[in-house]
Amino acid sequence: MPAEIPHVKVTLDNGLDVIVHEDHNCPIVAVNLWYHVGSKNERPGRTGFAHLFEHLMFEGSAHHDSGYFRPLQEAGGTLNGSTSADRTNYWEVVPSGALERALWMESDRMGYLLPALTREKLDTQRDVVLNERRQSYENRPYGLASMTLMAAHYPPDHPYHWPVIGWPADVRAATLDDVRAFFATYYHPANASLAIAGDVDADDAIRAARAHFEEIPGGPPPPPVSAPPPEAGNRPSALLLEDRVESPRLYLGWVTPRLFGPRDAELDLAATVLAGGKSSRLYRALLQDRRLAIDVTAHQYSAEISGHFTVVATAAPGRNLAELEAVISAEIAGLAADGPTAAELERARNLLEADAARQRQSVGGFGGRSDQLNLYNVYVGTPDCTEVDFARYLQATPEGVAAAVRAELGAGSRVALSVVPAGRVDAALPGSTPAETA
Amino acid sequence: MAVDRRRLPAVGLPAALRFPAIERETLSNRVRFWTVDHHEADLVSLVLLVPSGSAADPPGYEGLAAFTADLLDDGTRRRSGVDLHDELGRIGGRLGTDVTSDATVLSITALARHARTALSLLIELATEPRFDPQEIERVRALRISRIGQMRRVAAAVAERAFLRSVYGTRPYGHMPAGTQAALARVSSDDIRSFHAAHYVPERWTLIAAGGGDRAPSRELASLVAEAAVPASPAGAAEAVGGTAVPRPSAAGRLTFVPRPGAVQSEIRMGHLGIMRRVPDYPAVMVTNLVLGGQFVSRLNLNLREAKGYTYGARTTFEGRRDPGPFTLQTAVDAAVTADAIREAVREIREIRDVRPVTEEELAVARPVLTSGYARNFETVGQVTHAATRLALFELPDDEYTTFVSRVAAVDARAASGAASRRLDPDALRVVVVGPPDVASSLAAVGLGEPAEATVDEFFR
Repeated sequence: MPAEIPHVKVTLDNGLDVIVHEDHNCPIVAVNLWYHVGSKNERPGRTGFAHLFEHLMFEGSAHHDSGYFRPLQEAGGTLNGSTSADRTNYWEVVPSGALERALWMESDRMGYLLPALTREKLDTQRDVVLNERRQSYENRPYGLASMTLMAAHYPPDHPYHWPVIGWPADVRAATLDDVRAFFATYYHPANASLAIAGDVDADDAIRAARAHFEEIPGGPPPPPVSAPPPEAGNRPSALLLEDRVESPRLYLGWVTPRLFGPRDAELDLAATVLAGGKSSRLYRALLQDRRLAIDVTAHQYSAEISGHFTVVATAAPGRNLAELEAVISAEIAGLAADGPTAAELERARNLLEADAARQRQSVGGFGGRSDQLNLYNVYVGTPDCTEVDFARYLQATPEGVAAAVRAELGAGSRVALSVVPAGRVDAALPGSTPAETA
Repeated sequence: MAVDRRRLPAVGLPAALRFPAIERETLSNRVRFWTVDHHEADLVSLVLLVPSGSAADPPGYEGLAAFTADLLDDGTRRRSGVDLHDELGRIGGRLGTDVTSDATVLSITALARHARTALSLLIELATEPRFDPQEIERVRALRISRIGQMRRVAAAVAERAFLRSVYGTRPYGHMPAGTQAALARVSSDDIRSFHAAHYVPERWTLIAAGGGDRAPSRELASLVAEAAVPASPAGAAEAVGGTAVPRPSAAGRLTFVPRPGAVQSEIRMGHLGIMRRVPDYPAVMVTNLVLGGQFVSRLNLNLREAKGYTYGARTTFEGRRDPGPFTLQTAVDAAVTADAIREAVREIREIRDVRPVTEEELAVARPVLTSGYARNFETVGQVTHAATRLALFELPDDEYTTFVSRVAAVDARAASGAASRRLDPDALRVVVVGPPDVASSLAAVGLGEPAEATVDEFFR
């Protein structure tokens, strides 16, 4: 089990959770702020908004209306933010002596963003986001695959149906009024969680957090997200995308239990047994024994409403995706029938433990300890659940992994997406239907 | 008590940076074994530096160094590749085989309780690779296919075309992955010879850090001394020849690679840059931050924040053993390709004279490398890789400790000096990978007639 993260937590009167973790090894301190809002809170016709809004958070606020980076970089800090379907996070890592400045900046944009917002800022960041979409998705081989798979998993009114980056027409349609309403609904202390980690005294850090954030009024809980159940059966289960790619690639996806839900940990272990490293079952079957593929990965992506298990493999020259599919299905069936060996299970556990330890070396940034504290706090309500979290892996049994694979990775609930070079429809899984892309 | 929102809080003085002490010894087998005094309860990080990388690829065999490194974990004299990876998984180990122009860096981070096993594995795969002919064919096919995959990535096309444009066929002129034709040409003897010449233990630096208490360095050192017996009677390879600096010809400054259907233009521009050991390295780093090395750089504020042309634009000076590239990179909406190039060239030109670096800009840039420097040495992997750079570039022991004060001393005059010495707008080589209809707009950007190239020239 990776080391637990000692901390104190207080909740301010306005509803803001403040979590502090002390670590004096390096003279830096991390500030990490989560807003419990992501693309799942959007609605059809207004997609991509949470992410576009994240961009605007870096464009200045009432008392510092000239760009967010400069005062923090002057202090030797580094910073970033990200948006997912479930949450938006912002972080700074600064020298210990600059904590107050980081809190001042974060609190100013939490409390006073709108007075500084202009149409010009919105228009420019809209263009930046459209270029981000081109660079990261449209102009990148296989870049549209993940969003196509998600759209196939969920009906159009399900909050995981649309991509975080949004549909381009929706991004173009975003208005200043949308921005104002979004801010009022989601960007207030009662919908946020602040973690401070590193070379600070916990009492000092809490005092500083109070001084900066207590004046910001809390708001009502945001409206609940309604998620219609994924409809199985009445949507195509084999899709096809022609793209500017070199080799056909197969995506197999299943909707699975949510983060920390039943069988979530067993599916993590199953993914590692299947494709974690060069002695994993799929690597051996696809890349060594039969040389059908040039790469293979498997992941359980654990999200708030539901999870997604995906297996992705790219065909070797002269191979088609039906051959890959047959091998993958056979390996999944084998795991469902017999489970992993004791040695495979031990390896998977140790790899997951070491990966967590590697991530937790840093106090800040994506996946660092401050981010981990907020993840637990926002999704579970307790800032450090390391013990409970990793007990799931320690207690998992070969039979439990087999049972999870049987329950969750059945052929009936699977969506297969073939991404093939333009004109090479013959390489796709037989019977695939062309997917629509936006 | 409420906070004063009329002014930003002042910032306290940063703590002085202390890079952890390195205990160095040369073992009986002439391996340089370094133990870095940095502790991390759960993890150990081990790095094996072989100071030969893709610059050591013989002409016509581009990709040999990386191909060789890739085969190390596909079986040793003692066990198969699968068994090796089973063992690696059991200790929670992740293996890195990183081949750059100057070096091959093998690394394992693993659970600290398995430090000895991790070190044994690292030495085993560096000294006893099997180079089984069947595995060679399997990995060759994989690597050729993966190079094929990269043909479709605009950034990868641009990067290859740019290196070719700046370095020609010199050692830094190709990516470590090489080309498909060169990989097809490599024989198992080529691989064995490369390994025998370059991986001999007397050329290694082996660096260890991590573990809860002081690393058990004596114990590990004796393990290294026993295990790493030179694999071949041949002595250490000749030091890799210097990269004779190419002189770009006046023609062909602008290369255009058409990519039908692309929605963006991928742009690279730059020229020959600096060696890592140059005395003005701190001034070059600071100047680069102002120009394009940070979010608030002139380039990014112009192209992204003012114009919305791009998701981001940046510049880098990659310091290598021989002069590495100075590179400006961005991907822009195809419709504004020519405008973006003009703006980028203008930024490079104007920072040299029309708009020299100001004290105000330095006040934003320097802290990245002074008060912010400590965060580069937080994790055990950061620390071992920092030590690796000391060994690779033959930097003085106190390089990191004195770096902050040398950066702090960079004033506007020093920055301007670095800009005029290290930037040369008239020597810029520019590569555009974009939709065919962009071509007609490129002649007007002032870099001469664009020379058209095909994607295949850089991969096949």
